[in-house]
Formats: sequence, structure tokens, C-alpha cells
Amino acid sequence: MGLVEKGKLPAPLTKLFNLGRSYSMWVYQWGLACCAIEMGAAFASPRYDVMRLGVIPLPASPRQADFVVISGTVTDKMAPAIKRLYEQMPEPKYVISMGSCANCGGPYWDSYSVTKGVDQIIPVDVYVPGCPPRPEALLEGVVLLQQRIKSEDMAAKWRGEGAQPMSRNERHEELSQGHVPPPAGDTPGGMPQRDPIVVGGGPIE
Amino acid sequence: MPMKPKVPGLLKGLGVTFNTMMRTITKGADTVQYPHAKETPPIRARGVIALHEGNCTACMLCARSCPDWCIYIEGHKELAPPRRAGGKPRSVNAIDRFDIDYALCMYCGICVDVCPFDALFWSPEYEYSESHIADLLHDKTKLGEWMLTVPEAPELEAGAQKGK
Repeated sequence: MGLVEKGKLPAPLTKLFNLGRSYSMWVYQWGLACCAIEMGAAFASPRYDVMRLGVIPLPASPRQADFVVISGTVTDKMAPAIKRLYEQMPEPKYVISMGSCANCGGPYWDSYSVTKGVDQIIPVDVYVPGCPPRPEALLEGVVLLQQRIKSEDMAAKWRGEGAQPMSRNERHEELSQGHVPPPAGDTPGGMPQRDPIVVGGGPIE
Repeated sequence: MPMKPKVPGLLKGLGVTFNTMMRTITKGADTVQYPHAKETPPIRARGVIALHEGNCTACMLCARSCPDWCIYIEGHKELAPPRRAGGKPRSVNAIDRFDIDYALCMYCGICVDVCPFDALFWSPEYEYSESHIADLLHDKTKLGEWMLTVPEAPELEAGAQKGK
């Protein structure tokens, strides 16, 4: 994919690639709490039938997945596993955060053991609100993700100039000042440089 | 007692599959074709909370009773003309800011129940996913727009206690 990295791919071909990618997405299900029931309804029941959208919920491992749905309460003990799961997924990879707990802690905003939002450890592309969200709300999140992928500049994504994860301070600034677009990536290679996450008394190995 | 002839399990299973197939062919599949056709949620579904700004007096009851502290209210006092001629001007609260953080909300509905002025309503809308978490903080304009999606309250059942 050298051409893609250099951004030399012709625009119509990029559009074709994006179209193909958006309608063939293997999703890894990461159900952690009650949201997983709704995720199961959306992904496995004939009533909602997510395979109509080209989303295939059957990868054998994260290494075969295009995006992951983090649904439920992310505890500090689960955080290293999620980090590893994300790092195992091949690029380009996407994350849907489902439910209030995964979005920013939700009812456990004051808990000693719950990570206050999965976006503290991995970048999230789509936030689905709800507690838990209806299965259709998750489908809407999937449709939103597909729209984003269809209009994506692949070269920019491969250079790491896509959507950057927000730090907690940035998030607070945004909450207090209204929406501010995240700054362009100043560190090449995707994830910005940041301190290691300390979970349970030590950095993640 | 004569033994009933046993239907082989294979035929039984094929029969179930055949019945399902016939049902699907005649009545259609149960699948809701989501982006094109949408299922109507129940009328009391807890989708999103709408704000009727004119009713709100910034009394802060909802913000104080919220288990997640996800409602942000700021207001100031204003002088309103007196109700009757010759009276003294009334002091009323005006809201400057009414935000609900739907990334944090746990959809318990305590704010809707506790509101003494009927300013908060449940709406069954659910399609408001966002790419930026800051966009999930709905301000009073956005919350006011949700008012358009609030359904009419269903009729009370016979013998139900009237509201006080």
C-alpha cells in the first residue's frame, strides 16, 4: 500500500476503496456490561440484523477486525486488555463507544475502579449515547461510522492525521468553551505521545 | 396401549424449517430495514430529554437530584412587570444556560419526575450519536428542538389518580 501512504492514489480509486471498506466491516464485540445485551440484539437478532449493513460480527480474533464496539463499563482492570485489543487490530481500525459508561464513566463517574471513558485509553470514532442505547441507536452509530469512512482521506489517516483522541484537559476545555476541533497531529505515526497509563500501580507492559 | 409411530427427528426438524420458510415467504421477515424503515419506539421510551424553556424557572431541582450531575444550569434574576396595575414588579428567574451531558446521563428520569413546572419531557428519539464527545452536551437550543419530538401524553387509565 505504498501509494496509499504517499497519498498518490487517484481520487476515484480512493472513493472505491472507501466504499468497499465501509460495506465490509468485521466488528469485534467487546461487551462488558448491560450494553452488551443491546449489542447482542443489534448484531445477532433477525429483527435488527446488522449484516444487512455489511457488518460481520464474527471475526475469530481482533487481528481480523476492522472496528470494535466497546459496550459497557470499562474498569481500570479491563483497561490494559482493551489497550492490547486495540493494538492487535490491523490498520485502518475504528472504535465505537457504546453507552454512557464507555463514553465517560456514566453512572460510575465517581467510582474508584471505573475508567472514566474508553477514550482515555484508545481513540474513539463514534460515541453512541444511551444507558443502554437501543439496538437501533447502535445501528445509527454504525451508519455514522460508515459515512465517515466513505468520506475519509485514506492518505491522511495513514499519516496519522485523522481524528486524534482527546485528553481529559482538552475535553474539559471543549465542554466549557463549546466545540473546538482537535489540533492536527504534531507527532507522526498515529497516536500522540503521552505518558503511560498507570493502572493498578504500574505502567502497562 | 398402542405405540404411536415415531416421526424421525430429521423430518421433524425439516418441518420446523419448512414452516419458518413458509411464514417468511407469506408474511415477510421480521427484520426492520433500519436506515430506510424505522421501528417506532414505545410512546414512553426513554430516548432523550427535551426542555420546554418557557416553563423552566431555573429552580435547580433537576440539577440537584441528578445522580450523575449531568445537568448544568445557570440563571439570573430579572424584574418582570407586575401582574395587576399598581403592584410592585415581580422578580423572576431567567435561564442563561441549560445543558444536559448525554454522554454522562444515565436516563433515570428523576429530573423529569422532579420538575415541578413541567419543563422536562421524555422523547423517544434515539438517533444522536456523535463523533466528538463534546457534541453530546446538548444546550438549551438543542434541548428545545427535541420538544418537537415529544409525543402527546397517553390517556390516563380508568381510576388513575389525577395529577395534583
